[in-house]
Amino acid sequence: MKVKRWKLATFLLPCLLLFGLIYLIPLIMVIVSSFFEWKAGGVFNFVGLQNYINAFTNDPRMARALINTGIWVLLQSTVHVGIGTVIAFMLSRKLRGWKVLRTIYMIPNVVSAAALGVIFLNVFNPKYGIINSFVSAITGAPFEKNWFFEQNSAFMTVTWSWLLYTGMIIIVVLAGILAIPEDIIEAARIDGATEMQINLKVRLPLIRTVLGTGVILAATSMLREFELIYLTTNGGPGDTTLNLPLYLYKTSMTDNNYGYANMMGVVLIVAGIIAVQAINKLFRMNESDY
Amino acid sequence: MHLKLKSSTWRVLRFIFLGFFVLISIGPLIWIVMSSFKSNREILSSAFALPTSFSFSGYTAALDIAPIFKFYGNSIFISVVSTVLNVVVVSMAAYVLARHKFRGNTFITLLLSVSLLIPTAALLMPIYRIMTAIGLFDTRLGLILVYAALGLPTSLFIFKSYFQSIPKELEEAAYIDGAGFFRTFFVIVFPLAKPGLATGAILQFLTSWNEFMFALILTKSTEVRTLPLALNYFTSQFSFNYTAMFAALTMVILPSIIIYILLQEQITSSMVEGSVKG
Repeated sequence: MKVKRWKLATFLLPCLLLFGLIYLIPLIMVIVSSFFEWKAGGVFNFVGLQNYINAFTNDPRMARALINTGIWVLLQSTVHVGIGTVIAFMLSRKLRGWKVLRTIYMIPNVVSAAALGVIFLNVFNPKYGIINSFVSAITGAPFEKNWFFEQNSAFMTVTWSWLLYTGMIIIVVLAGILAIPEDIIEAARIDGATEMQINLKVRLPLIRTVLGTGVILAATSMLREFELIYLTTNGGPGDTTLNLPLYLYKTSMTDNNYGYANMMGVVLIVAGIIAVQAINKLFRMNESDY
Repeated sequence: MHLKLKSSTWRVLRFIFLGFFVLISIGPLIWIVMSSFKSNREILSSAFALPTSFSFSGYTAALDIAPIFKFYGNSIFISVVSTVLNVVVVSMAAYVLARHKFRGNTFITLLLSVSLLIPTAALLMPIYRIMTAIGLFDTRLGLILVYAALGLPTSLFIFKSYFQSIPKELEEAAYIDGAGFFRTFFVIVFPLAKPGLATGAILQFLTSWNEFMFALILTKSTEVRTLPLALNYFTSQFSFNYTAMFAALTMVILPSIIIYILLQEQITSSMVEGSVKG
């Protein structure tokens, strides 16, 4: 079945054009211009590594954004994935209503992140939000904490709005558990293993690559996270909840400092590659068990 | 006896644990929907009380202040067209890469997989410049192209592995019967690959439907803006009309939830497949 080359090319071309327009050309622009001072009004000078040096030695906002992004990546790949995995194990025993629970846990993930942001803005509203109304109802005294906009609670409140919503992890891990061949579990049972031992020593190791997938999803989602912060705290108060994508957005769209913004783009891409490689290695993603 | 007590304690703990996550998952949403029928005064005075009378004034106010139906129309149009574009364009490439050995196949596959590794926020500024330069800023077509590309990596891997799972014999038979390359793909392969294409299409639709950042930077007029941006509009516009804001939120979230519940089996398996393949 030999097909003429021009026919193959015709099939590849639209996809390559789309890729070139949205990924390749922008990627080259990001990398090249990260070595330039590029600002509004036609400023375009080669500065070598100056943007990188400034960012890592002389920019407290950059430090804040990097630290926050790092903390969120770590929390999301451990606590978030951990909670989702525990719930998936509970649901995998197919207790009555497990499918309904799976659906309910997924609902916050199918609502758009933008809508979720505005919902949390209301939930944590100082005057009429559920949280404060609940506290007032219990203590009987008016309680008006402004969760998203006070220095000591903003970071925690933003974190809350994604850390515990593990629907995506639940469905991925649950699918992994349910795909384990029944005879392996049966063999362990015949050998006298308890349900707990089977979970920890048989199922958990067997879903290693699925867990790795979940950790990659969770970690990379934090490198993309934008709208929820943008719509709630917008990085504030001060820079308490600033992360890398939001800082990049502000640097390019508000400050018109394009070279510097694209330097952050490079940092984001490199961080993503390192994270994915590290997780691949940690979970030995390329090896299969059965 | 001792053992029995232990297992029932365990059951209670599990119930509380799972119940807590049910509460935080849908509690806020129920509260939003309930509050959309209350008056401003009721919202401020008693957060948990049921509305004293069902009033739709919040909904009429929300629709007065923001053209929500316009945003809906834009979201549907942009999501549908970008999904069709993504499926057609990417499936053609995936088919060639999956089925035909030629010089450069591995290189092109590797090149296209680069897109998997890039957090799209990193490309925000160049994409904005390019779209402005080619005259697609503030147009539906601009968003359609960007969205079709956002789903490119996931679709490519789902489609490629699906094509590889279809037996070659059918295509060979078609060739022997005299069907050309294009005909074979669109008449024989495309229909056979429907389940795989549907998986990619569902993910692509969800991506486009929920996308916020590119919609924010690539559009400015209500004529082309999408539903997620409607909310951005509300947070400033409705600062004191809480009922209208809750009504707007309800109108934005309810359709997604209903569609998810109706199609959950397909959507769930698509998400699982997309995350494993991608």
